[in-house]
Amino acid sequence: MALSKEDFDKLAVLSRLRFSPEEAEEFRNEMDDIIAFADTINNAVSGGTDDIKNTSVNAVAYTALREDAVRESLPNEKILSNVDGSRGFFNVKRCVK
Amino acid sequence: MREVLTVLSDMLRKGEITSQELTEKYISAVEEVNPQINAYVHTTFDFAREGAKKADEMLKAGNAGALCGIPMALKDNICSDGHLTTCCSKILRGFRPYYDSTVWSKLKSEGAVMLGKANMDEFAMGSTSESSCYGAPLNPRNTSHVTGGSSGGGAAAVCANIAAYSLGSDTGGSIRQPASYCGVVGLKPTYGAVSRYGLIAYGSSLDQIGPITNSVKDAALVFDAIRGVDENDDTSVDYNYGGPSANALTGDIKGLKIGVAEEYFDGINPEIKDAVMDAVKLYEKNGAEIINVRLPILKEAMPVYYIIACAEASSNLGRYDGIRYGYRADNYEDIDDMIYCTRSEGFGREVKHRIILGTYVLSSGYYDAYYKKACILRNNIIKRFDDIFNTCDVLIAPNAPTTAPKLGHHGASAVEMYLSDICTVPVNITGIPGISVPCGTDKAGLPIGMQILGKRFGENTILNAAYFYEKTAVSPVKEYEGGVRI
Amino acid sequence: MKYEMVCGMETHIELATKTKIFCGCTTEFGGAPNTHCCPVCTGQPGSLPILNRRVVEYAVRAGLAVNCKINNNSHMDRKNYVYPDLPKAYQISQFDEPICEHGYIELDSGKRIGITRIHIEEDAGKLVHEQGTTYIDYNRGGVPLIEIVSEPDISTPEEAREYAEKLQLIMRYVGISDCKMQEGSMRCDVNLSLRPVGTTEFGTRTETKNINSLSNIVKAMNREIERQEDILESGGHIVQATMRYDANTDEIYPMRTKENSDDYRYFPDPDILRFTIPQEFVDETKANLPELPSAKLRRYIDDMKLPESTARDIYKYRRVSEFLDDTVKKGANVKNTANLIIGGIYSTLETEEDKERFDIKITPEKMAGLVKLIDDKKINKNKGQETLMKMLESGDDVTKFIKAEDTAGMSDEDLAKICEAAVAANPDAVENVRNGRDKAINVIFGYVMRETRGKADMGKVNKIIRGLIG
Repeated sequence: MALSKEDFDKLAVLSRLRFSPEEAEEFRNEMDDIIAFADTINNAVSGGTDDIKNTSVNAVAYTALREDAVRESLPNEKILSNVDGSRGFFNVKRCVK
Repeated sequence: MREVLTVLSDMLRKGEITSQELTEKYISAVEEVNPQINAYVHTTFDFAREGAKKADEMLKAGNAGALCGIPMALKDNICSDGHLTTCCSKILRGFRPYYDSTVWSKLKSEGAVMLGKANMDEFAMGSTSESSCYGAPLNPRNTSHVTGGSSGGGAAAVCANIAAYSLGSDTGGSIRQPASYCGVVGLKPTYGAVSRYGLIAYGSSLDQIGPITNSVKDAALVFDAIRGVDENDDTSVDYNYGGPSANALTGDIKGLKIGVAEEYFDGINPEIKDAVMDAVKLYEKNGAEIINVRLPILKEAMPVYYIIACAEASSNLGRYDGIRYGYRADNYEDIDDMIYCTRSEGFGREVKHRIILGTYVLSSGYYDAYYKKACILRNNIIKRFDDIFNTCDVLIAPNAPTTAPKLGHHGASAVEMYLSDICTVPVNITGIPGISVPCGTDKAGLPIGMQILGKRFGENTILNAAYFYEKTAVSPVKEYEGGVRI
Repeated sequence: MKYEMVCGMETHIELATKTKIFCGCTTEFGGAPNTHCCPVCTGQPGSLPILNRRVVEYAVRAGLAVNCKINNNSHMDRKNYVYPDLPKAYQISQFDEPICEHGYIELDSGKRIGITRIHIEEDAGKLVHEQGTTYIDYNRGGVPLIEIVSEPDISTPEEAREYAEKLQLIMRYVGISDCKMQEGSMRCDVNLSLRPVGTTEFGTRTETKNINSLSNIVKAMNREIERQEDILESGGHIVQATMRYDANTDEIYPMRTKENSDDYRYFPDPDILRFTIPQEFVDETKANLPELPSAKLRRYIDDMKLPESTARDIYKYRRVSEFLDDTVKKGANVKNTANLIIGGIYSTLETEEDKERFDIKITPEKMAGLVKLIDDKKINKNKGQETLMKMLESGDDVTKFIKAEDTAGMSDEDLAKICEAAVAANPDAVENVRNGRDKAINVIFGYVMRETRGKADMGKVNKIIRGLIG
């Protein structure tokens, strides 16, 4: 099914992406092709169960889960090593366009 | 085929060369060759030299493993502490993880020497590596052709002898297909065989790290070094392979039951079909049993793959918001605007495509028709492959419908590019292992790859089948004349 | 028109595990910003979550304590939404396979408030806005939560308060959280709508988020009911919205609405295996649950014959009730113990928090040692209280303050002699009593108590003195 402009705009918001009107139009047309391609699964011959969980791996007993034992956290300098931190915080300054 | 790792390891252990000397050779080779093929996007030569020094100490102490002191490359989506790891995306510009991926941590402790990070499609989304923000790597076999993708840089580096081996990641064929385009060996292990901790996620239920090497034996040696259950990856599995896979290579394939499904050959370039069928005949001649199987379900695999991969990707890539790492837009009004600007400027076109598609298939009203349906079909495909492996030990198939296309060829249609993955994605959907081995060249001299698939944790079987072919076939692909030759 | 309220609650409770839900970082409260963090809880690319077993165990305990059915199979889902305090842009939560379902809490009136589900999830980090800059601390990011969702069975603000209070007490009793609303370890969201009395269709509801005290639940709901009534009365329509209650101004107002209506795109988290909760484990947990608040209150009133107000004063603090139970187990009389706790120990514990923490220096053994002296009438209640205060101060045993000779038996003859002396020494008082000012007898009693150092049985003393005065 084709993607309406409203639908596309909603997806863009959910994805936190912005497109210029031309870009959006171009994208939307390409998306139509891709969605048509995805739609082919609805022609799939095979039936199936309703259980969609656990497609690749088996379930584990809760006993195999991680034990509640403290592991040392990393130093603040490491945590902030990819940003200009401030007083130990991540931060986003307001800046005017 | 050149068992590069075995040869280098012997030389290092016998003291014929030190790791530091070998590393300098590789560094020179990278400096000379890389500008022609763009295989590396970040180099870590100082780190490599340090690693080589440590490796020499380990070698001297006599407790060195098979990979000790040998220079290699990591794909640019595998984290190593303090080194640029950018997924070849502007949005991860300058990102240096502060922890090691499990695979790198294992290799490092064995004395591996990392030369740098290899080029790839942005966030591993692509089949040609052309979506890299650093420009595409070029196929060393013919630089007007692509390397394949997404682990194109790693395949090119191994092919051009500027890495003794590399680690790639395979979400829909990203190890096997570039390996086949570049005429090297690529192993996609069973889902869960190798820890994903520190692999920057694309499609979490499909991603798997594996080696790209010059030979099957090399692939087995690297696989032995990186596999194993990991407390940091819930989906990793504690599987007992009964010893190193490298030791399981006997080359004996008598009685091996090989499945061949004609659906795998639909729309495949005749040259490739012939090359793979010739290989099948070689197996048969040497005592394997060929079983024709049907896989009509195969055509469902492509949309299933794209729906699941994009759904997971749309969620996995939500975290790139400019707050904690990587690129942040320069101009914005407030924090919300900053996130929009950062993402809109930081992600490339193909990535945006897949994020939007993934968001779409998960959004309310469409979830059942796309994501849920894809998961149901995925289970059916898994069951069908299980059935096949009840009667067959391995499946043999081509790796791609064509050999490496020219650069820019796929620009026309996204769907066309998606369809080029038809041969490789079923392995990721089902979680089974697959290996790509060179199997001749086409008229243009470009390598053809053959794919051997096995049941879950059947790596030893497919490695051995590949090993047989490598030993028995007549010169499947010629050696690249450049880089570090041994 | 008259309206009636329909209300359901969503309650988030932070679990008292040592580590976060998906990594080994500590859950300790406070700490310098971003120091309880690692690649996992800051959403570093490539990091993967590993589920904490104790979180599952605590959720099972919580569910059983509120009469839920425990699902033997469960899994984690991703709830996708973008916010700077959520480092992965998805919260790992549970959507269609929560650990617990179909429970209830019974109010004092006997009315049951249904519990739809309890699921586990991760908490978000903290944002601080200052002069145009947003500061982000992920120390709380990844702290385990349970979310308890009630049925829309709540009909009055008082019921909502009682539901929350009961929930808080139950979760404290089973030891999975301290449920401190001020510190945010228990947070209540109230979904509220109005409909004309006698109708059955639900009105449009609003959600008032993050109410931070029990009393504010009632206040916030009253404001919201008024607001909705005003709108409906003036012919308007209620707009679905998220509300915030400001306790300082006692006002309620809608929060800034986001650009898009939320679409969380839940799907099973591929990084975390499905897990099973075997029935044997559920049964064992159920068998090992501590006595729950309602049962304890009934026991205090019905079996131990405590007055209801006393019983309530004790049972509403888990540690206090345990202290009482342990003291009684050591042979002390329950009423004397309860009275000493309420009349003595509580006077040293000023706030509700202090009582909840019940951080006192004496053990139930020591307490029992003191109470038994009162039980055996070896000291009187005043002396008991006085001694208790000293014990609470120093933590010492009762024997440090009351010597053996103090409690040695006093013969009736000795007591009679002292009483005679008391009457002789206070002729004015005797005169006053005889003239009908009965209070004056306390002067004589005081003399006896001084002389006997508080160990005289006041009942006997009263009888003897009155006999002497005539």
